[in-house]
Amino acid sequence: MESQRFLELRELARQLGLDFFEVIFEVVPQDIMAEIAAYGLPTRARHWSYGKVYNRQRVHGQMGLSKIYEIVLNNDPAYAFLLDSNSEIANLLVAAHVYAHCDFFKQNVYFSPTNRNMVNVAVEHALRIDEYIDRYGLDRVERVMDIAFAVDRHLDVHKGVVRKPYPTRQVIERERRPQPYADLFGEEEFALTKAVVGDHLPPHPEKDLLWFFAQYAPIEPWERDVLEIIREESYYFYPQFETKILNEGWATYWHAEILQQYAGLSPSETIDFGVLHAGVVHPGHPMSINPYYLGYRLLVDVERRWDQLYAAGNTSVTGRQKLFEIRAQENDISFLANYLTQELADELELFAYGYACEHGPQSQKKCQKCGESAIQSRQIEDVIYSLVAPRYNYGAPRIVITRVNEDGSLLLEHERSDLGTLDRTYGEKTLGYLYELWKKPVHLKTFGSQHEATTLTYAASGMEISK
Amino acid sequence: MADIPWDLRRRALKDSIRHDKRVKEAIRKNLKELIAEENIITSDGRKLVKIPLRYLDQYRFRFGQMGSGTGQGKGNVGDVIARDSERGEGGEQPGDQPGEQVYEAEISVEELTRMMLEDLALPWLEDKEERQITTTSYTFDDVRRKGSMANMDKKRTLIENLKRHAVHKRPKVGAFSDADLRFKVWSVQQEHHSNAAVYLLMDRSGSMTTEKKYIAKSFFFWLVRFLKLKYQTVDMVFIAHDTEAQIVPEQDFFTISNSGGTMCSSAYRVALEHIQHTHPKARWNNYIFHFSDGDNWPEDNSRCKTLIAQLLDHAAMVGYGEIRYYDEATFYGWGNTSEPGRSLLHNELSTVAHQRFITAIIKRKEDVYQALQTFLAKKEGMENAPELGNAAFQVGR
Repeated sequence: MESQRFLELRELARQLGLDFFEVIFEVVPQDIMAEIAAYGLPTRARHWSYGKVYNRQRVHGQMGLSKIYEIVLNNDPAYAFLLDSNSEIANLLVAAHVYAHCDFFKQNVYFSPTNRNMVNVAVEHALRIDEYIDRYGLDRVERVMDIAFAVDRHLDVHKGVVRKPYPTRQVIERERRPQPYADLFGEEEFALTKAVVGDHLPPHPEKDLLWFFAQYAPIEPWERDVLEIIREESYYFYPQFETKILNEGWATYWHAEILQQYAGLSPSETIDFGVLHAGVVHPGHPMSINPYYLGYRLLVDVERRWDQLYAAGNTSVTGRQKLFEIRAQENDISFLANYLTQELADELELFAYGYACEHGPQSQKKCQKCGESAIQSRQIEDVIYSLVAPRYNYGAPRIVITRVNEDGSLLLEHERSDLGTLDRTYGEKTLGYLYELWKKPVHLKTFGSQHEATTLTYAASGMEISK
Repeated sequence: MADIPWDLRRRALKDSIRHDKRVKEAIRKNLKELIAEENIITSDGRKLVKIPLRYLDQYRFRFGQMGSGTGQGKGNVGDVIARDSERGEGGEQPGDQPGEQVYEAEISVEELTRMMLEDLALPWLEDKEERQITTTSYTFDDVRRKGSMANMDKKRTLIENLKRHAVHKRPKVGAFSDADLRFKVWSVQQEHHSNAAVYLLMDRSGSMTTEKKYIAKSFFFWLVRFLKLKYQTVDMVFIAHDTEAQIVPEQDFFTISNSGGTMCSSAYRVALEHIQHTHPKARWNNYIFHFSDGDNWPEDNSRCKTLIAQLLDHAAMVGYGEIRYYDEATFYGWGNTSEPGRSLLHNELSTVAHQRFITAIIKRKEDVYQALQTFLAKKEGMENAPELGNAAFQVGR
C-alpha cells in the first residue's frame, strides 16, 4: 500500500534529514489493530493477559472511545500498521509520523542494542512456547510466564541481553599498582596480591532478576527458556519505555513539518490535517500528561531557543541541528532534565501534585484531606522530578539480589527508599512467585513508611514480616 | 509479515477466551466473598451483573504510594485538584494498605448461581405418595425430513447435500433439493415432581439492623435462586415476623422494613398452621429456614422449642440461622473484637436434638456461603433419593 503520495512524503522526509529503515505498511481492520496493540509485537508468544488488554481495546474501539491510527514496530524492515478506516489525510499524517519514529529507532543511541530482527525472533519464541504448551500443558507454562512477567522489568540495561555466567570460585593473583614514587622509597615496583573471585553468589548485587533465576534457580530447561524469552522481549521494549515522550514528540514534530512542506495537499486536506494534528497535540487530562504534546512543545521550544542563540552568534548549532543531536543522544529523563525550562513549564501550566495531607490516604478512617490531591509545586525542579521519577528503572522499584545464604535461601534488597515504599500485597505475591522458582525461602529487605528496615520472607509456610 | 505461520495469527481470540476462563476460575475460587456482594444481591433480575475481582492481577514489585504525578492547568499551590475517586486513568488506589486494581467481570446471575450452588440439594427429599405437580417442557430431540422451515437444521441439511453430491462424485455444496432438507422437531415432555415446599422465615424486628437483614436477605436470595434453578416447581412461602408473623408476597419480603420486638414463636406458629392446611406431610416435603439475630423475648424461647419440635414432625428439615456479630468492624472482616456468644434462643433451640434440625451462625458476610453449604449439603444416604423432576414421563413422541 505505497501510494504515490507515500513515496513523495518518504522522499521529502529523507531530504529533510531523516534516516530510517525501509518501512512496510499494512492496512488492517480495527480488531487486528486492537490485537497488535495488545501484544506489542503481533507475533509474540500467547498469554492470557494479552487477551484481557485485547478485549478492552476492541470494545473501546468499537464504541469509539479510543482509536489507534497507527502502530509501528522497531525492526529492519520496520512494519507499520494503518487502520483501514483511516481517511487519506490521516494516512498521510501517519506515514510521516511513522518515518520519524523509524528514524528515531535507527538513530537514537538507546535503541542501538535492540534486536532489529525482533519480529522474527518473536515468532521463534512463540513457536517454542507453543511447543512447551503441547508438551507440559497450558497451566504449567502459563504459570511460569506469570512469574516471569512479574519481574520482567528488573533488568540490567548496561549488561544487556547476552551475558556470561559469573566466574566460578577461584583464587587469582592481581598485580597491585605501585604507589606513586614507590621506587624512591626502595619498595618493590611490582606487588602481587591474591584475591578470591566467585566466592559469593552473586559476586555483586544483581539487578537482572530473570537472568539470575534462569541461570541459578533449580528449574527445568524449558522453564529457563520461558524466563529467557520473556526477558529478551522485555529488553526489546525497554528503549520504547524510556524514550516515550521524546520519541512521540519527535514523530509529531516531523509529521507537522513534513506535511507543512508537502505541496501535494489540497486546501481542504490542509484543514483536515490541521484538525488531526490539533487532536494529537491536545494537552489531555489535567492530571496526566500527553507525551505527544509535551514532547512536541519541548522540541519546538528548543528549536526556537537555539535559533535565537545561533542568530545572536552564541552557538554554532542551529535549532534544527540541535534537535537532531537530541534525537541521537537523549532519553526522556535526560531530555526533560536538560531542556525543560521554567518558562516553558509556566507556559504549559505544568505542576507537580501529591497528597494534600501528610498521612496520605488511610485505608479506613479518612481525615477530611486524606485522599485528596493538591498542587504541590510549580518549581521547575519539582515538575521535572515528578515527570522523570516514574520513568526511572522501567517504572519499577529498584530491587537487587544480594546474596545466596548458606542455607540456600535467597536475599533480595530494595535499594532506594526515596522513591517510595513497596506495595505489601503485591510484594508478598511476587515473593511467592520467586519462591516457586527458587524452592527455598526468599527474603526481601525493604523499609516501611518511616524508613524503618523491614524484611519480608516467603517460605513454605507462607509470608512473614520481621523488623 | 506474510510469511508468519497461520497459527500465530489471530491469537488474541484464543487469549481472550483463556482470559475469560481465568475470570471464571477466579470467581469460583472466591465465591465465599462474592456471595454477599451487594451488586449481585440487588441485581433485581438483571441478567448480567458486574462483579469486582481482585484476584486476577498480575503481581509485580511496585510502589505503594502512587498519589503523585504531573498535571497541567491553572491553580495555586495547595489547591485540591482531585479526590481519590476522581483520579483519572493510571491513578491507582494508593496507600500503605494498598488498594488493588479491581477487574470488573461481567457474568450472568444464572451462571453465577450454578457455580455457587453446584453441590447443593434439598436434603431428605422423599418421594411422596401423590406426585402432585406436573410440568410440561418442550425439547428439540429429533430430526426429520419434513417440518417447518423455521426449524430447519442447517448443518445437517448441508451435510446431506454434500453427501448426495459426493455419491455422484461431485464433492461440492449447492443445488439443494427437498431431499436434502432436515428439520428439527420437538416433543412435549411431561414431568411429575416430588412436592417440596419451602418456608422462609425472617425476623424483621427492630434489632435486625440493616446489616443483619442484609445477611438474611442474601441467604434467601441465593436459596430462592437455587430452588428456581434446580427445581422447576417448589412452593415458596415467605413469612416475616416481629412479635406477630404474617405471610407476605415474595417481592415484599425482600424489601420489608423493620420495627418492633421479637417473638419467633409467632412465625413458627404461622408456618405450622400453613403446613397443616396446605402442605400436609403425606404429600409434601417441607423445608423451613428461619433467620434471626436471636434477640427473642426470653419468655418466648421455650415456646419456640416446642414449636420447632412440632414443626419437625411435619417437615423434612428445619434450619435456624443466627446472625451474630459484635460490631460493624468484625462484620466486615476488619477489626478483631471478641466474638459474641450464642443467644439464649440459640441455646434453648440447640437442646432440640434432632438430626433434621440444623443451626448455623453467621458472623460475617462470608459465612453466608458456609450456611448454605450447611443447610443444603447432600446428606448421607441421599445418593438414591429422588431429585425433583428427574422421574420424567414422556408423552407425545
